[in-house]
Amino acid sequence: MLDNLKNTDFSPLKNIPMKSVRLPLTVLFVLLFQVLSFAQAQSADFMNSMGKMYVVVAVILAIFVGIILFLVFLDRRLTKIENQINDHG
Amino acid sequence: MEKLIRQYWWKALGVLIMVYVFTVGMLVPLKPGITTVAPSAARTGTDMTLDVTGYNTHFLEAEDSVRFWLKLDNERALAAKAVQVVSNNAVKVSFSIPEYLPSGEKVQPFSILMDNAIDGAIIRPDAVFVTQDSIHPALGESAWKNDPITRLHVYDGMTFPFRNILGETIRNTYYHVSLWLAMMLIFIAAMVYSVRYLRTLDSRNDHWAAALTTVGLLLGWLGLFTGAIWAKFTWGAFWSWDIKQFTTLIALLIYMAYFVLRRAFPDEAQQARVSAVYNIFAFVALIPLIYVLPRLTDSLHPGNGGNPAFGSDDLDNTMRMVFYPAVIGWTLIGSWIASLLYRTARVEESHWDGYEAK
Repeated sequence: MLDNLKNTDFSPLKNIPMKSVRLPLTVLFVLLFQVLSFAQAQSADFMNSMGKMYVVVAVILAIFVGIILFLVFLDRRLTKIENQINDHG
Repeated sequence: MEKLIRQYWWKALGVLIMVYVFTVGMLVPLKPGITTVAPSAARTGTDMTLDVTGYNTHFLEAEDSVRFWLKLDNERALAAKAVQVVSNNAVKVSFSIPEYLPSGEKVQPFSILMDNAIDGAIIRPDAVFVTQDSIHPALGESAWKNDPITRLHVYDGMTFPFRNILGETIRNTYYHVSLWLAMMLIFIAAMVYSVRYLRTLDSRNDHWAAALTTVGLLLGWLGLFTGAIWAKFTWGAFWSWDIKQFTTLIALLIYMAYFVLRRAFPDEAQQARVSAVYNIFAFVALIPLIYVLPRLTDSLHPGNGGNPAFGSDDLDNTMRMVFYPAVIGWTLIGSWIASLLYRTARVEESHWDGYEAK
């Protein structure tokens, strides 16, 4: 087990498979910041309109993004163990 | 437990409950309410016209039955002289305020009471402050009884309460507050599994504790972020170092250290034992941080600074019908995620063991 740990690179980017995860993850983060900066710029009028209903929408979106990010984390963890099982039988 | 994690009924139940929470929580309208009353100050012996704006009100549709009072209490109230409806959400109300107020105060706050056939009775406390030059309560008493408050209507239909600063964001009770209670239940379960691990030294209990703690942290961070968004548009800033924001942040950081600690020990038995002890410590720290300290000092959060939480002001019966299912729903979905993490950890362990045996 210790041998294996030595070979593991803990730097966050190296563990992310280039094609499968990094692009969607980047897109997700960009979208998140777009939403946040949009909410900031519009905050006075847009977020307070309709009795502040869009604040509830933003909260639900934040929960959604959080759960999706968590799914990405779980996906990566399963991919890693799958790869190890495939490599070492 | 091993059988239960492969069954689907409780996962489906969690999803169904959340579908109920999202549809009912979003679709039930707010009770009609009064958002602004302007001007908010007046003098005795003058005529005054108030611009009143309502939320979800039907002033136009119920034009014939709209009545207004300036109210001190049920006995001392002044009915409006004229009501001019502008739209469903706007109305101009004229009062001629008598020479004397029915109280001995120089400046007396009055509530605005509105009643109409569709929206029922709505009260806006401390809406208008009236100043009097000379004080004569007895004369005031007789002048402030021109039309007694009778035959009030009641709004029928299911609604959530209207709170002036909150508006529609009162619905965040189901999407923010429920996360914290679910997190608490998940952390309690994690602590129980840590105790079980110390009693049995069975690594499955350690995996459950780690999986549940991960989910508790997920719910906690979601709670912190959703709370920050809600705070921005009700308290004015994403983060205002409110005592409860501060203590929950500390509690979450203490729980984050649980995973740092786990990684620090290469030996699995040692890792499990130390992290089980730490998890119990973290839970013991969580209770005062979330439930005790915020009540000892002033807080922006309702239910803190000495007030009990969940009084009838914060949560009425229609809200309970969505709030408690939300707590159960988040807990079930959290347990589902925890069971996935647990199964992943079991697979990882069996693979490591098999690899080491070779």
